[in-house]
Amino acid sequence: MHPTREALERSRRDFLTTSANGVGLVALASLLEGDGSLRAADAPNPLAPKAPHFAPKAKNCICIYLEGAPSQIDLFDPKPKLNELHGQKLPDSLTKNVRFAFLQKDTATVLGCKRKFAKHGQCGMELSDLLPKLGTVADDICLIRSMHTEAFNHHPGQLLMNTGSTMFGRPSMGSWLTYGLGSESKNLPGYVVLNAGRGTSGGTSNWGSGFLPSTFAGVLFRNQGEPVLNLNNPAGLSAAMQGATVEAVRDLNGIRHAAIGDPEIAARISAYELAYRMQSAAPELIDLSKEDKKTLDEYGIDRPEPDLKAARGGGKGQFRAFAANCLLARRMVERGVRFVSLFHASWDHHSNLDNELPHNCLMADQPVAALITDLKRRGLLDSTLVLWLSEFGRTPLGENRGGSPNVTGRDHHPFCFSLWAAGGGIKGGQVIGKTDEIGWSVVEDPIHINDLHATILHLFGMDHTKLTYRFQGRDFRLTDVAGKVVKKLLA
Amino acid sequence: MHHSPRALLALVALVACAFSLSASDPAKLPPASAAKIDFEADIKPLLAAHCVKCHGADKPKGGLRLDSRAAALEGGNTGPALKVGKSAESKLIHAVAGLDPETAMPPGDKRLSAAEVGKLRAWIDQGAKWDGTIAGPAATKLTHWSFQPIARPAVPAGSAHPVDAFVHARLAKEGLKPSPEADRATLVRRLSLDLTGLPPTPGEVDAFVNDKSADAYTKLVDRLLASPHYGERWARHWLDAARYADSDGYEKDTGRPFAWRFRDWVIRALNDDVPFDRFTVEQLAGDLLPNATTEQKIATGFHRNTLTNKEGGVDQEEFRVAAVVDRVSTTGQVWLGLTVGCAQCHDHKYDPLSQREFYQLFAFFNSDREADIAAPLPGEADRLKKEQAAFDAELAKLKAAVEKAKADKVLAADLKKLEAAVVAHQKKAPSATKAMTIAAGTARPTHVMIRGDFLRKGVEVKPGTPSVLPKSTGATRLELARWLVSAENPLTARVTANWVWAKFFGRGLVSTPEDFGIQGAKPSHPELLDWLAHALRDGGWSLKKFHKLIVTSATYKQSSAVSAEALKRDPLNVLLARQQRMRLEAELMRDSALAASGLLHREVGGPSIRPPQPPGISELTYANSARWVESTGPERYKRGLYIWFQRTSPYPLLTTFDAPDSNVCTVRRERSNTPLQALTLLNDSVFVEAAQALAKRVQLDPTAKGDEARVARAFRHALGRAPVPAETERLVKLLAQFRTLAEADPKEAAKLPGPHAPPGARAPEAAAWVALCRALLNLDEFVTRE
Repeated sequence: MHPTREALERSRRDFLTTSANGVGLVALASLLEGDGSLRAADAPNPLAPKAPHFAPKAKNCICIYLEGAPSQIDLFDPKPKLNELHGQKLPDSLTKNVRFAFLQKDTATVLGCKRKFAKHGQCGMELSDLLPKLGTVADDICLIRSMHTEAFNHHPGQLLMNTGSTMFGRPSMGSWLTYGLGSESKNLPGYVVLNAGRGTSGGTSNWGSGFLPSTFAGVLFRNQGEPVLNLNNPAGLSAAMQGATVEAVRDLNGIRHAAIGDPEIAARISAYELAYRMQSAAPELIDLSKEDKKTLDEYGIDRPEPDLKAARGGGKGQFRAFAANCLLARRMVERGVRFVSLFHASWDHHSNLDNELPHNCLMADQPVAALITDLKRRGLLDSTLVLWLSEFGRTPLGENRGGSPNVTGRDHHPFCFSLWAAGGGIKGGQVIGKTDEIGWSVVEDPIHINDLHATILHLFGMDHTKLTYRFQGRDFRLTDVAGKVVKKLLA
Repeated sequence: MHHSPRALLALVALVACAFSLSASDPAKLPPASAAKIDFEADIKPLLAAHCVKCHGADKPKGGLRLDSRAAALEGGNTGPALKVGKSAESKLIHAVAGLDPETAMPPGDKRLSAAEVGKLRAWIDQGAKWDGTIAGPAATKLTHWSFQPIARPAVPAGSAHPVDAFVHARLAKEGLKPSPEADRATLVRRLSLDLTGLPPTPGEVDAFVNDKSADAYTKLVDRLLASPHYGERWARHWLDAARYADSDGYEKDTGRPFAWRFRDWVIRALNDDVPFDRFTVEQLAGDLLPNATTEQKIATGFHRNTLTNKEGGVDQEEFRVAAVVDRVSTTGQVWLGLTVGCAQCHDHKYDPLSQREFYQLFAFFNSDREADIAAPLPGEADRLKKEQAAFDAELAKLKAAVEKAKADKVLAADLKKLEAAVVAHQKKAPSATKAMTIAAGTARPTHVMIRGDFLRKGVEVKPGTPSVLPKSTGATRLELARWLVSAENPLTARVTANWVWAKFFGRGLVSTPEDFGIQGAKPSHPELLDWLAHALRDGGWSLKKFHKLIVTSATYKQSSAVSAEALKRDPLNVLLARQQRMRLEAELMRDSALAASGLLHREVGGPSIRPPQPPGISELTYANSARWVESTGPERYKRGLYIWFQRTSPYPLLTTFDAPDSNVCTVRRERSNTPLQALTLLNDSVFVEAAQALAKRVQLDPTAKGDEARVARAFRHALGRAPVPAETERLVKLLAQFRTLAEADPKEAAKLPGPHAPPGARAPEAAAWVALCRALLNLDEFVTRE
């Protein structure tokens, strides 16, 4: 049976079995009479699972987005040469046609790297001492050192990474995937967003559905309190009253449907039923009390959080929030959520790099590694693509904003940066791409964000040139007019 | 430069796409489609999308051009691409079938599907019919309907109303009949929502239902068009197109405390029925009119709604250019119905619009500057005068004190304090309420930007309109605006008539109101569209007259009920054998709930409001920078169009119900139907409060006694019409259920009525009524205009 057709039949069956009175049955009869009109295209659930273009490797995606651009030089792409050149100017030929956000290139000098790098796993992947736990899963991840982008301000850069374009109004990756594939989740949205830290530069435009219907927009979950906006009934309205409400609304809508015949009413009935199911599914989802202590400890939910006087990472409480988000991401994948986005802001270390980057890494390293280990142990990693993303990289030059001699950070750098991916059909235990010895440009295997997106869609069994949506007379794609599947990434 | 790795890849791709052909096994080719092929619809988009880019007039790859039939038949370096009637022997087919990877076309991963190849085969087999050329401006101008002068079609006979004459003639041709007129309760609700965006009160429903006079309907239309809420309703449509918001957008997303001045201008202009040509000219070039008034300058706020990027480290020129690009794209979209923005980086793929022409349009706007002007509100001048006098007096006093201190040779520290007081006072100078406007700035040359990159300048261009349309004579923004609404321009009247029509029927006669170009939909009723375009323009561009024309047609007044048979025949209601049910827009959802409950504050115009918002929303903005300070006065119950729109964290209710993100121009809203909408209607505080207030209202209504009467009254507040017996029965049963459940835990139930508990009512009883009213506000019909 065609999946959307099946969803329609199911919703109609639910209608039959849960409608306990005569009025409901009248409404049902009219729905069935309208059978011919309620074609697949009118099916109530636009998120019903759809078949991909070809057999997929990945079914779900967890996208960890470190907003602000973590320094690849201090985490993923060792450049010992920088310590040799520390304090020296770079040749003009390198910086001549380059624009920077804040850096004054006349006086800027190379900033050495205080980090120690070591080899990890059987593959010998070199990672910084700030990511020891990630090192334990090095053989599962594919590190890309040769990403490049054309955006070098945060908001346009975040739009490009999340939506494939620096222009506003385009759907985000998760929207494209749920538009193309629907969702396996019956009681939860197909695309969920979790936040930690301070607000991102891009705000909600990072998970918007652009010109796609809002059905495909990311739904913001919170990791405590009311998990979804408006999920809780008003004070004084019991679960039983809510049940009676939803049932009566369905019956009354059924009466109207019998009179007026609009299939949209059937869709609304089905939306109310999913909302009602979500009211019990979402609190169950965020309730971590059923997780054993070992798991909670692995993710580091209750780790002590060191004090740090800097607002950039969002202030106190982010260790717990970020760890909980990682664990929730696994719980969502278990429940069929197609795309989970985890944001943390911010990693925009123009200054105070050597204090704030270690702090953020201490927050992220353990839960992210635990997530990969946990997914693997549960047999979910093969079908779950885990991504570590950001919008661009950081300069090998120290940032001397306003000509300041007090240089403690790095500026934005779009010409090369590092990301990694794991699971979901990714060939782990490898490093792709090379940058030159000062980390200025890509010298081997350049990968543009459009290429990354093409590859992600490929892992989900989608041809990025065929996943299109007609808007303003044009077939739009996540990859716009570019993008090539990067075969080296594939297992 | 940072483009280098991509440029290298592009070069590799370019070399790989040499078009050479070798035959592969014809038996393995995808079969030809059995359908009758229409070149315009089926083939041209394929060729335009996949072939012509490399095989056009400009340096065709492999010497092959696929932009006209003659060129394709002539072929490239390896011979003819087509063999008419014999697709299996046509090299084009072998290339696109891609059986031989060496010769497969198009290059890269962009292969055609078997179905598309089948279409091409069928087209060749059916004679390869092909009129005109692809991407050739002259040829397209001759053929594409929307660039032709607006026709003056004769009104078909048989119906009193011209709109019906066209629609019914078409229905008759299709063997269909229009639907009967909707009942009066539905009509008054439909009209009220369409013209004012507010549901009728039960009293207004009764007045119309009981008005037996022949012109009852016309009187109703006139009353609603004269309502000040008409301007609010239609302003909201226009604000979508104007991408109105109360903040800058981008990372910092700084607030725009005076953006609302433009919104007020739109409301007033629509209420005054300012003719659409003047409406246009004032918004695009009010500042350039002779002796421009402050109001005319405020109108130019239309193009101040572009985003501003104040993120640290940005190149200001980059985002100035981005704003001008948006002004060009939006102008093209709103008035010409063309996706001119597509030509920013390259020639338009489908429409006869070159990249150079894009920058000719750009040149009209390129020398403008953004000017925040003093624009005192009515009555403000007096206040300012008084404040200024007081300010001056105080300043003189402080300065005198400084002079005296100097003369008296007081201690240096004391003198410093006095001087500081002067400086502090000077910062408090009274200022008028401002407005954000566009003004002409220093002339700035315009260049084509290679690939849309503001750093890569091509040839210089002068202001000019696209060559496919009648020429404009002038080079100023004012002349561009006048050209847009001139009698010669065939697009503005059609596009505007269609835009208005879509608001009344849920779908335009051109179903892509944003695209009247080659890729856009063709009009379902081309003669009617042209007739309407004339009516709009010849009616002195009066929107109110135009609305009246449409809503007095039988086509508009039809019932929206649909049989399974009719639905099967015309699921999208293209033929208009019925009216169309439409889910209300986001703002109207809230307005309707507030109106039904009696909470609505009907004040028209004024600054944006911040009604209660769930916690955690403003925190999504950059570094939690956008503070949401809740409005506390009656203004918190003003209509939804006044809600402060923060671009990076919009009010959730709005986006949940498909309000546009207001970063780009929107002429057609989506109407989705999602579980989050259900949760919002069930639990968002504004709907809960509306349920509480509606419950109080009916419980205290002395004219409604007993459950049935009260249920019916609440029902009528929500839906206008009276319930049918099955509905009353179900609702009374629901009320009984709620009473039982509330009695089980009276202490808990006492929380439900919130601040709207009727005095003296028992808690479980009051709670049961709130729950009942909440159910009513969740009915599909409540959120739908039928």
